[in-house]
Amino acid sequence: MVKFGIEFVPREPYWKIMYYAIQAERGGFSNLWITDHFNDRNVYVTLATAAIHTNKMTLGPGVTNPYIVNPVFTAQAIVTLNELAPGRVVLGMGAGDKTTLDAVGVEMEKPLTAIRESIDIIRKMISGESVAYQGEVFKTAGAKFLFKPKGKIPVYVGAQGPKMLALAGKIGDGVLINASHPKDVEYAVNCVKEGVTASGKRLDEIDVAAYPSFSVHEDIKKASKTAVPAVSFIVAGSPPQVLERHGIDVKKAEEIKEALKANDWGRAFSGVTPEMIGAFSVCGTPEMCIERIAELLKSGISQFVVGSPIGANVREAIDLVSEKIIPHFKT
Amino acid sequence: MEYDKLVEAIAVEKRRMVSDRLVDIILTSKNDEKMPSQLANAILSHWQKDILSTQDGLTALLEAAVILEPEKTVTALTELQLTGIAEQVKGALVKV
Repeated sequence: MVKFGIEFVPREPYWKIMYYAIQAERGGFSNLWITDHFNDRNVYVTLATAAIHTNKMTLGPGVTNPYIVNPVFTAQAIVTLNELAPGRVVLGMGAGDKTTLDAVGVEMEKPLTAIRESIDIIRKMISGESVAYQGEVFKTAGAKFLFKPKGKIPVYVGAQGPKMLALAGKIGDGVLINASHPKDVEYAVNCVKEGVTASGKRLDEIDVAAYPSFSVHEDIKKASKTAVPAVSFIVAGSPPQVLERHGIDVKKAEEIKEALKANDWGRAFSGVTPEMIGAFSVCGTPEMCIERIAELLKSGISQFVVGSPIGANVREAIDLVSEKIIPHFKT
Repeated sequence: MEYDKLVEAIAVEKRRMVSDRLVDIILTSKNDEKMPSQLANAILSHWQKDILSTQDGLTALLEAAVILEPEKTVTALTELQLTGIAEQVKGALVKV
């Protein structure tokens, strides 16, 4: 049976996110993902607060990156969080986004290697080892906790491109697929399968999550309007081959990108078409969302993450998912 | 303003509706920074136990709503036919 996760961006104050997290847990969501960007509020403080305010939900960063946060610190944070919510903690690791890394002057060096090495270091640290690691990107010289870390923490890899997806299948306990459209998710799951097979596992041994931008409302127009900003950024960041796969004019996407660069939100958002919304988000009435999620499930996903913006009114949107969408997949 | 006294005047059968409306005002407010963390923690503690429409829960919600969105709160109370409470809140705001 598919699990439902939910993502929050800690740009909102902690008390709003905690209200929604409690509501989501009560409404049948099983996973809570908190994004990690240096320009938002801190992911681990938010997760620790969520660990205290929830009882059952699995929670973790979705996702953190090894460039801004050194793997030893990620290991430390996640192990400490697991003391607060034993058995409920997972770690989502990804290469990060170029815009954020550029803003702090950090280069996205060898992303595949960085992810593989950082996860290797984190797992060793979590298991209490003294880690002397001579990687291409990361090096440690006997890093070890001065306390005994407890428990096993599953590691998810956030991925979009074919190589990262295959790596996620190979080394991850789970994968967070950054895609919304059934064609993209199907392609992604096939890439994950390659990695899974290469490591001698089966696909059902890992948690495969679709992690799309999501917007639900009883009024389709309101749902679409809410999805527009997120979709504009996804369109602007998508390579031409992905745009062409969805029949999206590359020139129009370029115009959106230029407008975003110039902070001309009005021009950027007005360039977003219904086709773009359809390709890069799960958006619409509860019935439309059910239809899309059902299509995504055919690819073999085991978790559906309700990603931001969630809805024009987040509280109402969580209720819609809890009352109309989740029950549809539990029967 | 003695919020607990104001809440005492709300009929039990109306309390869930009132708490629901106040929660909406607080969560959709753009004046996040005005929320005192102690009050936020009290609201979360009550929400966690699903007792926001009790005397203490409603008191915290009303205080937070007035701090974040005084005018919207007065309008909501009036629409909920709690005109007496709305007038008292309005009067207190005028004094401030």
